[in-house]
Amino acid sequence: MSIAIPSVARVANGAAPRRRPYGRRALAGYGFITPAIVFLIGFALLPFLFTVYVSLHDWNMLTAVTSMPFRGLDNYRYLIFEDPLFRQTFANTFVFAAGNVAISSLLALGVALLLNGEVRFPTFWRAVYFLPYVTSSVAISIVWANLYHPSYGLFNGILELFQLPGARFLASLETAMPSVIAVAVWHAVGYYMIIFLAGLQSIPLEVYEAAKVDGANAWHRFRSITLPLLRPTLLFVAVVNTLGSLQVFDLAFVLTNGGPVNATNTVVLYMYQTAFNFTRMGRASAMAVMLFLVILVITLVQLRLLREKE
Amino acid sequence: MRRKLRLAVVGIAIVKYAGLALGAFFMLLPFAWMIVSSFMSAAEIMARPLRWLPAELQLRNYEALAAAIPLGNMYANSLIVTISITVGVLLTSSLAGYGFAKFHFPGRDILFVLVLATMMIPFFVVLIPIFFLVRQLGWMDSYLGLIVPNIVTAFGIFLMRQYMLTLPDELLDAARIDGASELAIYWRIALPLAGPALGALAILAFVYHWNSFLWPLVVIRSRELATIPIGLNSLRVYASSPEVINLQMAGAALAIIPVVAVFAVLQRHFVRGIALTGIKG
Repeated sequence: MSIAIPSVARVANGAAPRRRPYGRRALAGYGFITPAIVFLIGFALLPFLFTVYVSLHDWNMLTAVTSMPFRGLDNYRYLIFEDPLFRQTFANTFVFAAGNVAISSLLALGVALLLNGEVRFPTFWRAVYFLPYVTSSVAISIVWANLYHPSYGLFNGILELFQLPGARFLASLETAMPSVIAVAVWHAVGYYMIIFLAGLQSIPLEVYEAAKVDGANAWHRFRSITLPLLRPTLLFVAVVNTLGSLQVFDLAFVLTNGGPVNATNTVVLYMYQTAFNFTRMGRASAMAVMLFLVILVITLVQLRLLREKE
Repeated sequence: MRRKLRLAVVGIAIVKYAGLALGAFFMLLPFAWMIVSSFMSAAEIMARPLRWLPAELQLRNYEALAAAIPLGNMYANSLIVTISITVGVLLTSSLAGYGFAKFHFPGRDILFVLVLATMMIPFFVVLIPIFFLVRQLGWMDSYLGLIVPNIVTAFGIFLMRQYMLTLPDELLDAARIDGASELAIYWRIALPLAGPALGALAILAFVYHWNSFLWPLVVIRSRELATIPIGLNSLRVYASSPEVINLQMAGAALAIIPVVAVFAVLQRHFVRGIALTGIKG
């Protein structure tokens, strides 16, 4: 009680110092954050450290945590130098991420630019493009796998109507990855479109008016106003899109289960298989740590780029 | 001159709407085909040249679907799990966000850095330890196992803290002078004022967990506890015969249509929520 009184008095005097002394209020502050902090330590921070620990050991999840055999960096050495499948899934993941980030970001920007000006039924168009994002990736993967079906699928049916040769889509080594990327782009493009729209709408109209008065044509206005002012949004989309793409699991699992012959197997899917089909937790954890480091470096580089030019 | 200008304007408009319509066609085509083919017979799926519409509406696929997977359970499970997680996320995020935004205490900034650091940890990195932890706790194949690991997110705390920072201190202090307890101030003043941020977080959390697949895939063993994505996934185990295509399309349609209905009603909020978090991030 005695602690609460001065703060009330101070408020009454209207002369609150910048920093209040810690006291009963501080205790309340701890009270508010404690549940979340305890939880984050238990379900995020410690598990993260545990993943690093397991990655240095052999573990089948049956032996006690205290008695798993220490292997040093052997899991990492094996994966990098002796496991061609790991290298392949890594390469696949990057091909997927590069394709998905480039195509979905560009398409999203294009649609956002079309919708940003005067357009009739803006809500309708926005809803149509955004719709796939709210639907389950498992459900849409099942639908797309059937659209892609070589004999009974819609796509080959349409190609046949025009007397064009059919494709094997998910079933062939060459077309499987592009087919998976197409689904990912279709699924995510609306989300990035919304973010681009928000970015575009934060650019003040006066800037465009001034440029018009100065005789700048549409392309010039896009190059020297829209793009530079949209830079933070572009980088945000690039970061978020890259992070999500490198973690791709659902699409690879449901559309192809990594096939044919691992042509669409990704790091997270391979990690899942290693952990839950072959119970090699050490090796799976080493994969998780390596992909995490790659993601961390890419994020830091992208955030650095964002800060530099601002 | 004037006429030329008008022609150019019309030309641009045509290109614009043609582009939008072409894109929209590709966005909607999979949904349209999903619904149409869920009413087709196996023979119609196989028919070449392609049939665009079923000769008669076949409900057989939906009947077969109801026999193949426990649809009622799947919806109930998805609802129970997703609502519990969303309520948990809203509660823990707003509590912690309020604590970080409106109180001074030793170690606050370090603890907030800890929150930001855990935001950088993707779920796949902690999948194995959390699986192990949940198994040790005896929560495998249970609602607890599905719900508890998800009820706190660093992102939610971050979002709520940013929003709570904008609430005026004077208002909170006035309530203190009136003798309100700290918990009452949070519940009656801070929380209602944080409505827009709570709404955005609720929508994002709900959509994410409604569609979540990897975690239920490792935790759930029994059919009765399958969420919608898990139940749909179990339709894949059959060989891909035309009958199974019908069945899968019917299943996907039943999974997608409720979400689309909710989305149609709440569209404005979805868009605002994503824009809000996009700019903040």
